[in-house]
Amino acid sequence: MLPVAGASSKLGLWPPSGESVASTGSSPVKLDYKTLGRTGLKVTTMGFGCMITSDPSVITRAADMGINYFDTARSYQHGNNERMVSAALGARRKQIVLSTKSGASSKDELLKELETSLRELNTDYVDIWYLHGKSSPADINDGMIEAQQLARKQGKIRFAGVSTHGGQQQLLPWMAQKGVFDVALTAYNFSMDSSMNQAIETVARAGMGVVAMKVMAGGFRRMKPADPLYQKLSKNGALLAALKWVINKPSVTTTIPSMTDMDQLDENVKAMAQPFSAGDEKLLAAHLENIRPFYCRMCGKCEGTCQKGLPVADVLRCLTYADGYRQFALGRERFLELPFEPGVRCGDCAQCTVKCPYGVEVSERMTRAQELFA
Amino acid sequence: MKAASLLLTILLTAGMAHAQDYLNCKFAPGWEQSGPRRQYAADNLFEYKDGGAEGYLIFGFVRMEGIDCKSGDNTLTIDVSEMGDADLAYGIFAANRDPNQPIAKIGMGGQVQRQSASFAKGKYYVEIVEVAADPESDHTAEMEAFVTGMQKRIEGRETPPEALAWFPREGFTSARLVPESVLGLRELKRGLVASYKQGQAFLVLEASPESATEVLKKLRERFAGASTALVGDEAFQAKAPYLDGICIFRKGRYLGGYANLPDSRQAASQAAQLAARIPREPVP
Repeated sequence: MLPVAGASSKLGLWPPSGESVASTGSSPVKLDYKTLGRTGLKVTTMGFGCMITSDPSVITRAADMGINYFDTARSYQHGNNERMVSAALGARRKQIVLSTKSGASSKDELLKELETSLRELNTDYVDIWYLHGKSSPADINDGMIEAQQLARKQGKIRFAGVSTHGGQQQLLPWMAQKGVFDVALTAYNFSMDSSMNQAIETVARAGMGVVAMKVMAGGFRRMKPADPLYQKLSKNGALLAALKWVINKPSVTTTIPSMTDMDQLDENVKAMAQPFSAGDEKLLAAHLENIRPFYCRMCGKCEGTCQKGLPVADVLRCLTYADGYRQFALGRERFLELPFEPGVRCGDCAQCTVKCPYGVEVSERMTRAQELFA
Repeated sequence: MKAASLLLTILLTAGMAHAQDYLNCKFAPGWEQSGPRRQYAADNLFEYKDGGAEGYLIFGFVRMEGIDCKSGDNTLTIDVSEMGDADLAYGIFAANRDPNQPIAKIGMGGQVQRQSASFAKGKYYVEIVEVAADPESDHTAEMEAFVTGMQKRIEGRETPPEALAWFPREGFTSARLVPESVLGLRELKRGLVASYKQGQAFLVLEASPESATEVLKKLRERFAGASTALVGDEAFQAKAPYLDGICIFRKGRYLGGYANLPDSRQAASQAAQLAARIPREPVP
């Protein structure tokens, strides 16, 4: 797909496809670039997810360091995030690739939201416009595709994309086959299974650019820099390793970690310059092993059922509230709502009949839940 | 043990019943509930706010309850989010509010528009959004009816964070709560930020004067060429990329300051005004 000829921005013509748009950056480390599929845009292998950034100076500094892909959405802070991104990037607009998203569900609503986005971002066009948060082909109707195509004809967007946090195994191959999307923005990290790798490779082979998000498989509630777990993972290099893992995946073009402070930015920029090493692999394997016995993904793939009729998945969910999210009261509240037969306890059986495909130690976790909440 | 468990269940159930009181479609005439009540926690909020969950989680999201209402061809979505504390509830309201509209005295603060409303009260953040058959129609009166009905039934603080009043008013444009990394600096974990026609001010509360001193020391090390300023109990001023003229001070457990002013002397002058408005905490 080619950009619409002749369309111009308030700040001048956009850079032609195939050219780097970040030649003026001054990064302390070497920046790495990849081509975003058929768009031809050359983007840094790490971009910037602006969603939770509070201070625009972090975004401005990232642009000055040479990071050239920035992502926001109409819905972030009810539009206030787009306004902040505009203030942060200002005169740098033509040096960067800018994407936004709309979660509207009809052609008219989408186009209306696009107009608002353009106004708030103070630009005549966005480089990539995503249909926001789709989980299956059924979530995308013809009107949405028509809106993207019309917007492209009008020069208001350069390329069309879809963002997805779930259901990628069905959605991504469908997008590849559909042929009307240029970029897939998808949750993707080292903890996912091989079917996800295949889905990513399918869209990449179809010529689409792949932007990865949620690259740190926290699994548990988003960690803040102040959290002990964050500090531990940061200190031992696991956070950086997770970023490097995704950056070094051949099918992934770039990634958009959220960054709220200057230190986080500096740490993450380093990932671009470093290969994914055997040491990184060990760190991630250890992290995965650490969370595997405890972390119920709530995937619904429990093998077998409890002979005593205990609602295994529900109990593990309650325990995740308490152990994973440190929400003991909520975990206990939900636990007490579960329909238990009086006197039935896990641990009475010689062998547990429920198995977790991801290695959660079901019996041990069930026993802990009953001890913790009873 | 069994009796205690039963009592706890009754108490929690009573709490939930109370929660259901403020989720009611009948606050405005002609509205009926459509579909079941929904509930989300931190781990599955993405199922509902797909792509937007992090914007809640960063403000200490605990859980959300909501209902849909219907009146003819118009539908209404009501969501009540329980946040980590009242300040965080105010924080998410301030982050999401329409900056072009004034803040109304609804709970700690709220806004009512033609087809939407939001407010924060106690640790709860309320969002009401109408999808009207006629997108141009004015439903302010209905929004007000829902807001009035709900805020009466939601318990909790009705005043915004006290420290907001300490920011000098001259040139003041808006204020918000930043849940982490105030000014993009990791050391400033959570605080209030006020925007001015020129520059911005902030306030961060530390656990003790000693920990505030430690943070101030770390911050000073960040800024090459920082010099001591005579503001509060201790302070420094500097000129820095992205933050321009900056002055950061400590007064008791509070860290405060001004940034993005043309020079550091001006930042120190402004910071002194802010420091003077922070009440001295009684010595325990």
